[in-house]
Amino acid sequence: MKYGLFLGCNVPAVRPDVERAIRLSMPRLGAEMADLPGSVCCPAFGSFPSADETASLAVSAWNFSIAEDLGVPMVTQCGSCYSSLRMALERLHGDDALREKVQGLLRGKAGREFRGTAEVRHITDVLFNDIGAERIRGSLEFPLDGMSAVVQYPCHTLYPSEIVGFEESSGRPRMLRGLVEALGAEVRPYSRELQCCGGAGGFVKGSFAGASEYAFRKLRALRAETDAGMIVVSCITCLEHMDRMQAELAKKDPAYVPLPVFDYNQLLAVCMGFDPAEVASISTVPREALVERIRGAGR
Amino acid sequence: MIDLSKVDAGLWREVVESCGDIRHCFTCSTCVAGCPAAEASPPLFVRDLVRKVLLGLSESLLEDETPWLCVTCSACEEMCPMGVKPFEICLAVRRWQARNDESFIPASVAEIFETGHTQPVDRVREKRRAVGLEEVPPTIARFPEMLEKFREMLRETDLVKNNEFMFKG
Ligand code: SF4
Ligand code: SF4
Ligand code: SF4
Ligand code: SF4
Repeated sequence: MKYGLFLGCNVPAVRPDVERAIRLSMPRLGAEMADLPGSVCCPAFGSFPSADETASLAVSAWNFSIAEDLGVPMVTQCGSCYSSLRMALERLHGDDALREKVQGLLRGKAGREFRGTAEVRHITDVLFNDIGAERIRGSLEFPLDGMSAVVQYPCHTLYPSEIVGFEESSGRPRMLRGLVEALGAEVRPYSRELQCCGGAGGFVKGSFAGASEYAFRKLRALRAETDAGMIVVSCITCLEHMDRMQAELAKKDPAYVPLPVFDYNQLLAVCMGFDPAEVASISTVPREALVERIRGAGR
Repeated sequence: MIDLSKVDAGLWREVVESCGDIRHCFTCSTCVAGCPAAEASPPLFVRDLVRKVLLGLSESLLEDETPWLCVTCSACEEMCPMGVKPFEICLAVRRWQARNDESFIPASVAEIFETGHTQPVDRVREKRRAVGLEEVPPTIARFPEMLEKFREMLRETDLVKNNEFMFKG
C-alpha cells in the first residue's frame, strides 16, 4: 500500500513529533508514505476559501496535481486539511465550467495538470479500513492493557457525511474507538464525546472567553463521567486545542487535573516501541509519566 | 426596522454562487442549536445571515463580522433539514465581504502567496531536527522554483489582480 503524506502547515511546523510518529508507524504496518513534493497549504478555510473561490480551488488543484503525478491517494492527519481538500474535490467534480477555469490556471502559468483522479483520505480511515485492527495489534511492543482513554472524533471527518464521511453513521462514529481498542486500552464513552473541540476557525481568536467555556464544558464532563487516563485525537487542531484548553482550565480551577493528549499515531508509535523523544515530545500537559508507564508495563 | 426602499433584492444571487438553495431556509434554527460559535459574543447565528442575504440587507451584512467566528466544523451542514449548506453560506458571505471591502481579506492569503504556508515550516529547523526529521519539510518550502510558478498562477486570479498591494514576492 502506497500513499502520499499531505503535511499541511501545522503538523510540520508546530507538532513535528506527530509527523515523525506518522513516518515511523505507518511503514511498520505496510503503508508506505511518499512525500508530496511542492505541496502547499490545503488551503485553510480561513484563507483563500474565505476570499476567492477560483483562487482557492486553484490552490487545492495544485496539491491534487502533485498527488496525481505520483498516482497515490493523499493522506492527511489534520481534520481541516482533510475537509478542505475533500470539499474542493467535490466542487471541482461538480462544476465543469469552474473545473476548466481552474485547469486553465494550472496549465497556463504553473505548467501543472489537474486530471481529476486525485483521492483524499483521512489517516484514521486508512488505519481502520486498509490496515485493520488485527495488524495493528500484532505490531505492538507495549500494549495499553489495563488503561483507559476517551477519543475525540474530528468533526471535519464526520460532516457533511455525504462528502467527507467514511463512518457508517456520522452520529455514531466508531473507528477511532476501534483503533484505540486495538492498542489494548478501553475507550470510555461520555455525554459530550461528539462535541466539537471548538479549536478550529475563528472562534478562539474572535471570542476567547466563549470558546474557553465551550471547551471547558466538554472537559469537565469528560473528567466527571470517566476514569480515562488519556485523550486520543487524530487532528492537529484537536490535539493542540484540547491540550491548551486543559492547561487553561487547570489554571482557573486547580481541582481540574489535566490528562495527557495524544495524536493516535503518536500513541501507536509509542506502543510500537519508538523513541518517545522523537514521536511524543511536544505538549503542554506533560505526557512523560504516562509514556514511562506504557513502556514499563510491556516489560 | 427594515427600510424596504433600501434593500438590495439581488443580494442573494451575488452572495451564494456555490451554496445549496438558500431560499429553502425556513428559519428553523437547527444550524444555530448545534453551532459552537453560537456561543461566541456576539454570537454567530447562520440563520440570521441567511435572512440578511434573502432580505437584501447589504449594509448590515457588510458590517457583520460573525461569519468569521465559524469553526468550520460543518455540523450545520449535516443537520440543516433543507439542504441550505449553512457552512457554505458562512464562507460565501466572507467572500462577498472580501470582494466589497478589502479590509475583510484575510492576511493568510498573502502569507500563502509568499511562502505557500500559513506557518513558518522552514524556520523550525532545530525543532524538526530534534525529533529526527529533515530540517525543512518536502513541501514547497524546499522548492523555490515551484513557489515561483505557484505565485505566477495566483497572479492570474481576480483576488491577486484586484489587490496587488497585498501580494509581494
Ligand atoms: S488546514 Fe491548517 S494545517 Fe492544514 S494546510 Fe491548512 S493551515 Fe495548514
Ligand atoms: S474537533 Fe475541532 S479541531 Fe477537531 S476536527 Fe472538529 S473542529 Fe476541527
Ligand atoms: S438549519 Fe437550514 S433551514 Fe434551518 S435555519 Fe439553518 S439554514 Fe435555515
Ligand atoms: S460550520 Fe460554522 S456555522 Fe456551521 S456549525 Fe460549525 S461553526 Fe457553526
